[in-house]
Amino acid sequence: MTQPGIVVAAGDADIAPVAACERDRRALLQRGCVLGGAAVAASSIPLLLLVRNAFAQADGDAGVLQTLITNEQISVIAYDTALASGLLSPAAIRIARRFRDHEQQHAETLTTALMDLGGAPPPPPRGIADVDQVADGLSDAKSQRALVAVLIELEMAGVAAYHEAHRTLLETRLLQTSASIMAAEGQHLVVLRTLARTDPVPNAFETGST
Amino acid sequence: MDIDSFLRDAQSRRRFFRRSGVIVGAAGGSAIFLSACGNEKTTTPNVLTGPDESDQADVEILNGALDLELMAVAAYKTGAGRLRGSVLEIGKKFLAQEQEHADGLAAAIKDAGGTPNRAKSSYDFPELRTQTDVLRFAVDLEYTAIAAYIDALPKLSQGDLRATAAGIITNEAEHAAVLLDALGQDPAPSAFVTGVS
Repeated sequence: MTQPGIVVAAGDADIAPVAACERDRRALLQRGCVLGGAAVAASSIPLLLLVRNAFAQADGDAGVLQTLITNEQISVIAYDTALASGLLSPAAIRIARRFRDHEQQHAETLTTALMDLGGAPPPPPRGIADVDQVADGLSDAKSQRALVAVLIELEMAGVAAYHEAHRTLLETRLLQTSASIMAAEGQHLVVLRTLARTDPVPNAFETGST
Repeated sequence: MDIDSFLRDAQSRRRFFRRSGVIVGAAGGSAIFLSACGNEKTTTPNVLTGPDESDQADVEILNGALDLELMAVAAYKTGAGRLRGSVLEIGKKFLAQEQEHADGLAAAIKDAGGTPNRAKSSYDFPELRTQTDVLRFAVDLEYTAIAAYIDALPKLSQGDLRATAAGIITNEAEHAAVLLDALGQDPAPSAFVTGVS
């Protein structure tokens, strides 16, 4: 049985945990866990319901980077989709273009770091279907408000993923790069929340959780 | 010293932060590697030191961060008198969030067996005559905090502490975005927020 983004390598799936996984998958993915092409045993799927566990499954720093790269690439697709929607105001278009470029820079920097570690870049996301795994509703959005809500959800997922990555990453430079990207995603959130007319800085500790 | 001179003169800023007990690296921030490429392979100290040494090192780092947060609390209190309307509300909120950081760091220091530093009786802030002066000084403080945290974060031995520090860094970056916006500047000017201008 294959979960979106999770390739089951071996072992029969127990229906109950897999059903639980499916039920909770959205909550998981909303917290930033997208396992692009990661191979895991069916019996371990429930363990992957938490981002922390997902990173624990990762193959050291390289595995964590692969997950973060996939998330950044998904964000690029989301901003491209929002920009092509015709729903954004001129001001929102300028913001979306800028943030799309930021996400692209993040993906490229992390990919360089991954290759320096001897890792292989993850397979690119397949498109909007992969965006929906992290934050549903992009293709159904009928207004700028709805689009911005999805983008906020995506940025939150990104922040949550980087937050968790700091528990796992070991290399100094990767930790510092990760922190600087997480901070940039926080600034994106401020701008998007302002567009959505919500509190731009609701928490003293920005972890990507609501 | 007036705020313009303060913000222009990197040396005086470094002296100020050193006097205030805040350790920052060269060039007003820290030497942060952003391209994530290169040959130096350093790792976090959790694989290099024993638990006692790690706790002691963590306490020192956390106390440095606490000094910074206490200074930020004092700065927002000092600057509040120059703020008006919605900007005053922002200042009050950020003051409360800096205090939350300070409280969280103090608790973490106690958990690690250390004694939290206390706020200084006074800070020699530059002269803040207007709301704009306060906002510009606050942006400088927020970015200095980000640079110091990013410098220190990999030295923390525990993953939970590193994650918490990252949560604070991101919050400080959010503060900076709001403050920049209030100054009429781009709130998210860079793909990598390092605190180094």
